[in-house]
Amino acid sequence: MSAQSTLVPEQTAPRARPGAGLLRRLAQSPEAGVIIACVLVFVAISAQASTYTSVGNLQVMGRDLSQVGILAIGESLVILTGGIDLSVGALAGLAGILAAWFDVNQGVPALLAILLTLVICAAVGLWHGTMVTRLSVPPFVITLVTYTVAQGLALAVTSGSPINNLSPLFSNLSQYYLGEVPVPALFFVGAAAVAWFVLERTYVGRQIYAVGGNREAARLAGIPTARRITATYMASAVLAGVVGVLVIGRMNVADPSVGPGWELTAIAAAVVGGVSLFGGEGRIAGIAAGAILLELITNGLLALKVSPYDQQVVQGGVLGVAILLDRARARWFGRSRA
Amino acid sequence: MTAQTTAPGRAVTARLRGVHKSYGPVRVLDLPELDLFAGQVIGVVGENGAGKSTLMGTLAGSVHRDGGEIEIDGAPLAPGSTEAAGRLGVALVSQEFPLVGQLSVAENLLLGRRPRASGRRVLVDRAAQRAEAAAMLAEIGLSAEAVPVGRAVRTLPVPTRQMIEIAKAWGREPRLLILDEPTSSLGPVEAGMVLGLARQLAARGGTVLFIGHRLDEVRAVSDRVLVLRNGRLVADLDPEQATEERLIREMVGSEVGEVAQAGPGTAPADAPLLLEVEGLTADGLGPVDLALRAGEVLGVAGLMGSGRSRLVHTVAGAQPSTGGRMRLGGRDYAPRRPADGVAAGIALIPEDRKEQSLVPFASIRANVVVSVLRRISGRAGLLGPRRERAQARRITDSVNVRMRSVEQPIGSLSGGNQQRAIFGRAFAAEPRLLLLDEPTRGVDVGAKAEIYTLIDSAARAGTGVLVASSELEELLWICHRIAVMNHGRVVAVLDRADATKERIMTAAALEEA
Repeated sequence: MSAQSTLVPEQTAPRARPGAGLLRRLAQSPEAGVIIACVLVFVAISAQASTYTSVGNLQVMGRDLSQVGILAIGESLVILTGGIDLSVGALAGLAGILAAWFDVNQGVPALLAILLTLVICAAVGLWHGTMVTRLSVPPFVITLVTYTVAQGLALAVTSGSPINNLSPLFSNLSQYYLGEVPVPALFFVGAAAVAWFVLERTYVGRQIYAVGGNREAARLAGIPTARRITATYMASAVLAGVVGVLVIGRMNVADPSVGPGWELTAIAAAVVGGVSLFGGEGRIAGIAAGAILLELITNGLLALKVSPYDQQVVQGGVLGVAILLDRARARWFGRSRA
Repeated sequence: MTAQTTAPGRAVTARLRGVHKSYGPVRVLDLPELDLFAGQVIGVVGENGAGKSTLMGTLAGSVHRDGGEIEIDGAPLAPGSTEAAGRLGVALVSQEFPLVGQLSVAENLLLGRRPRASGRRVLVDRAAQRAEAAAMLAEIGLSAEAVPVGRAVRTLPVPTRQMIEIAKAWGREPRLLILDEPTSSLGPVEAGMVLGLARQLAARGGTVLFIGHRLDEVRAVSDRVLVLRNGRLVADLDPEQATEERLIREMVGSEVGEVAQAGPGTAPADAPLLLEVEGLTADGLGPVDLALRAGEVLGVAGLMGSGRSRLVHTVAGAQPSTGGRMRLGGRDYAPRRPADGVAAGIALIPEDRKEQSLVPFASIRANVVVSVLRRISGRAGLLGPRRERAQARRITDSVNVRMRSVEQPIGSLSGGNQQRAIFGRAFAAEPRLLLLDEPTRGVDVGAKAEIYTLIDSAARAGTGVLVASSELEELLWICHRIAVMNHGRVVAVLDRADATKERIMTAAALEEA
């Protein structure tokens, strides 16, 4: 036995599975499974409901995606570092209210109102990051605090009633099309592209993975772990702000009851997309596909005229099956990802 | 103190003056004056808790010293900054393997920095990363086939990770390389490579601080041996002076005589068969045939990856068997999970204390009573705090754990004390069969002797012991018989009288097995 041969375990030699090369590679990446699931669901539902693939409905899905999808990307960044951000839904709601309140009640120009809102969101993210990294507050706890406060503030600022008469800029942002594509969907694509580029192609992105995979190793290697973690919370909060602004434009009204609850969909999209809640693992392609899959199913249930009372049960069931399949896949290939 | 801690006129890599560190009231490191000369491998020995890790951490910046000055090549080292230490050329290879499992070998090797050959500052240059990683591995003698740079680190076994860690430190072209028990998880060939690297750096004018538990190894590689005890430098020896007895005497202080023990009891030739294994197979194991009598200590030797741990884990039910059969105490025994093994009277003490044995931040009490929770619970299944604490004290006393209170976190104990507590926990369940995997890994000399005594007393009481270890001296010392494994099979079973290091190594390294 030579020195080298003791270093690599035998099990790493490709196991003989006839004709399984491509299939195996596909099955080994969680992203591929989600993307395939998207295609299957899309084809299956469009065979049942002709309205599903109409341009109008696709545009609806594109706009929905801008909400869930953008939140999921921000959420995933935080989860990659081993954290969690429960505040994104409520914060998106509050951001919408704030933007509308600056715009309508305070007479701030619409563009400035939006910028102001995003700055406030960034500050909230900075607050999360600082508490998590400096005082070791569990992310779950500190973002739950923000969830509660944000939800309460949205109601307090508006006394519970919606804000109307928004500046046209808001609806322009959300209701315009580029060709046939709704502008908010482009925001989603843009956010995904930027996140992908940063995570895969920059040192900062790779360091975020390192921090999530092994924080101590990252620290000892001289990576500024606190800065990287804080940056993800800020990105998550700012993206929540973007979603809030897009939502009020879409509905042309700022409704203080909108937002809370979305964080669960965002987390679900991330998990379905192959993000490990332990951190350090997950890719943007999977996350985007996870968000798309959830939207395809949600919208598909409407198209199939499933009773609204049953829809959530079906959604939950689909989520459960997706996770089961993913675990089965991981087990089959002998690499538990937990 | 015999040799000089300082010598005017010699090139000094690290100069330490008045360096000290306390945790609470306990001063864990106190070094008035110490120079580490250039061009030397300096061995550091001491029991657990002697201050070795604190000394290393202080130099590497992971421990924030309370006071004192450190200079590296004449430049002052700011306390508590790994970055500052790294800039001055200090590299630490710790036992903890600070690697990111999800990332590739290449990304781990270049963690926290950019490839030298790359002009890009923000964007990742993967080609340059791979090339530099491969070059770093080649530098320490590993080929790209042995360690594929694109593979995720977590898919690689522990010895490989250790070598990656060494390549990482080596790649920083350190002036002062600190190796913390670098060979404890390595097979003999890789261990030889590491010792060669240490000599090589010294020959180039660098300094290596070599922390070791295997005294023969430390003596063989070092130009100078430092002995720490209770945070102080108690001896500074030339290699000729550093005999094993001398080192042990300095390490343990006055109580040296008591470490010598009696050796194992006589092999119980007529005792009933406890464990019978026939044609046992599992992933990477077998077929294996073995028999173990009650009161017998059976060693399992073999190189890295020979199936030592797998055998132990399969018997424990922690790894599924794929064929063959086992009988325990004359009854068929087919464990499907560790709980089946426990129910059948088996106790397993796994290799990795932190990951597999302990809840580090929980109290000693909570950690040791888990094996007997049901027994010490009252009739309604409820657990009284007083009874639990009393039981915890009984367990820790029975194995002589040194601690302030059973309520302190078990992670705050030294390695040897943790291991004793784990033995106490295993014994408390009164097992018929005790399975041990590297029972003294990361444990100091004094504690080792005590653990051997514990194993011996268990065997004398009629417990069968199956012990897998990479330390041949250990097996030769404590076992009645030694089974040698090679490529997942038992290739030889040697009686105590016939077993020698040479015979074991020959069988273990035989190629056509």
